[in-house]
Amino acid sequence: MKTTTVIIGAALLVLGAQRSPADEISPEAQSAAQHVAVTTCAICHGPQGRSIAPKFPMLAGQHRPYLVAQLKAFKGQTRGDPDALGYMWGMAAPLDDEMIEALATYYSVQKPGPGRAVDAAEIARGADIYAKGVAEEGIPPCIACHGPGAAGTDDFPRLAGQHAQYLLKQLRSFQSNLRNVAVMHGVAKELQGKEMSAVAAYLESLGGA
Amino acid sequence: MISSRVLRATSVIGSLLIALLIAPVAQAVPSFARQTGMACEACHTVFPELTHFGRMFKANAYTIDNLKPVRGITATKEEMLALSGLPPISLMVQVSETNLSKPIPDGIVNGNVSQSDTAAFPQQVSLFYAGKIAPQLGAFIQLTYGNDSGTIGIDNTDIRYASSQLLPGDRSLIWGITANNNPTVQDLWNSTPAFGYPYAASKAVVSPLAGTQIDGALAQDVAGVSVYAMWNESLYGELGTYRSAKQGAANAVTGAAGPLDGTTSNIITGGAPYYRLAYEQQWGRNSLSVGVYGATFKLLPGGTPGSLSGPANEFRDTAEDFQYQMIGEKHLVSVAGTHIREKMTLNASFNPAGGGAAENLSDDLTTTRLTGSYFYKRKYGATLMLFSTTGSHDAGLYSLDNGLDPTIYAPGVITSANGLPDTKGWVAEVNYMPWLNTRLTLQATQYSKFNGGDSNYDGFGRNASDNNSLYLLAWFNY
Repeated sequence: MKTTTVIIGAALLVLGAQRSPADEISPEAQSAAQHVAVTTCAICHGPQGRSIAPKFPMLAGQHRPYLVAQLKAFKGQTRGDPDALGYMWGMAAPLDDEMIEALATYYSVQKPGPGRAVDAAEIARGADIYAKGVAEEGIPPCIACHGPGAAGTDDFPRLAGQHAQYLLKQLRSFQSNLRNVAVMHGVAKELQGKEMSAVAAYLESLGGA
Repeated sequence: MISSRVLRATSVIGSLLIALLIAPVAQAVPSFARQTGMACEACHTVFPELTHFGRMFKANAYTIDNLKPVRGITATKEEMLALSGLPPISLMVQVSETNLSKPIPDGIVNGNVSQSDTAAFPQQVSLFYAGKIAPQLGAFIQLTYGNDSGTIGIDNTDIRYASSQLLPGDRSLIWGITANNNPTVQDLWNSTPAFGYPYAASKAVVSPLAGTQIDGALAQDVAGVSVYAMWNESLYGELGTYRSAKQGAANAVTGAAGPLDGTTSNIITGGAPYYRLAYEQQWGRNSLSVGVYGATFKLLPGGTPGSLSGPANEFRDTAEDFQYQMIGEKHLVSVAGTHIREKMTLNASFNPAGGGAAENLSDDLTTTRLTGSYFYKRKYGATLMLFSTTGSHDAGLYSLDNGLDPTIYAPGVITSANGLPDTKGWVAEVNYMPWLNTRLTLQATQYSKFNGGDSNYDGFGRNASDNNSLYLLAWFNY
């Protein structure tokens, strides 16, 4: 019951987000976005969205609607996790809707990098939680929304290959509601630290498309 | 009566002393945070040390701007004005207390001594214009009041233009031009002199006699222009030239600000070439840069009764540096080092017939610094630096008494009895940062060797350890 509520809530949340088709973006705007991405965003998010430092999320291959929603949340200052405040509120402030769409398009078509596996036992635990959840704690399986291989969909972010450090910080921010997303708060509020670490390690180990 | 020989020698080493007497200045500038809308931690590990993002922000001419600008565009959408809605102004205040291990001789009454402690309120107040000027033009301009000079003067200044290009494979190329007043102030890493550790130091201590020219000797005394390029946020190259740009110097005939004549000292002849090459690699939370830099300064001693004609003293500085950073969520580690070698050819100061201000035609001087720093959550930190300056024996350059009557004025202290410039020791400090723009520091400096000796280095009974100091600093930026 709890799981179903979470999934329906997530679907409603994402479907409510505004989306614009990529073909509405002018070639000039797309070119300008590429310049911004390479010369500014890449300083933290790495070449073609494959960030080097684990503080900054991988953006390569991330789904466009998710990126658009996040950039708008940064600009509107409605996403409140620590690095959103410290970095992205400022960076997103001058972006207009067309630039947001074009940046999201740029990153959505980049090739994701390979996964990085560290601790096989932890990854196995994480894979189990990802696929099955933790029934006794009422934690739903992540796979229900984020899909097989954590590739995500248009409506749910890709998590495969994401930096574990970033994922952990986000899970903690969902848990504390610093990043105020009701669906993920529902998922993360009962997660133990070790469970978060395991899921993050599993997701970081995933590569490919 | 001060002999002309003393004056000539003083002019040779004068700039070394001047630079060392001007305590290192370093800055972190909240107006950048206001302009970008980003927290200090984006650009700084702990101010003023830069992160990779901070280095790129500087390379991009301080122009990343997330404020709504006052704009002017042409019909073809060419941007003619993008003025910050808020002026990028910041203030910095340092107040401090210094304890010198042993008082120095009284400057007037022979046999008396100075106080041991110095309260500095303020030690320094700086006003910055730091931020964007125009779409691709930005500046870091610092005006400083210092309690040592008691006046307001120009401090570190770097005005730069930058442009960025897309290269195949979505790589970036940034290139730019900087005009600045201190060799290495334009550099991106904290392993070079201008923005190297110590980031703050007492102005109420005895400073060692010798330092290389590129190590701050000419700070705020020159004007330089250089072009630079950075490929793929990793390979950096820069070439430039410096000329003398004296502050507060007047032409003897006209009383005007120039042209410079023989009444000023240590004037660069022509242009002094400057170069820099560095490579930075990032992996995970880590980054490592290695590089080389250097410059050749041909200086006319000048100064009464010197003149602008005749041979010049050449100082050829070559240096290597590195910087390692590990920036974690809780733990931050930085290690930086530089090794500077100076070859001096003292054509002006050396006289083969004897009596010159320098004993040798050729001297060398080497400075090495190695600094390690750790911070926990950007709040609690500690830093240790080992430093060493060694060089050739030159009784002319280093053994001079200060030329003043020792029965009236303080003898020794800043001089060397054995003609060696060697100084070695360490600086250690602990920091508490209640907020990211406020730094409280307790710093200790210890010398194992000072101006060539460990005991009685000046020939008047002063030991190297007598110049040890404790320094308590409160540093605010807003």
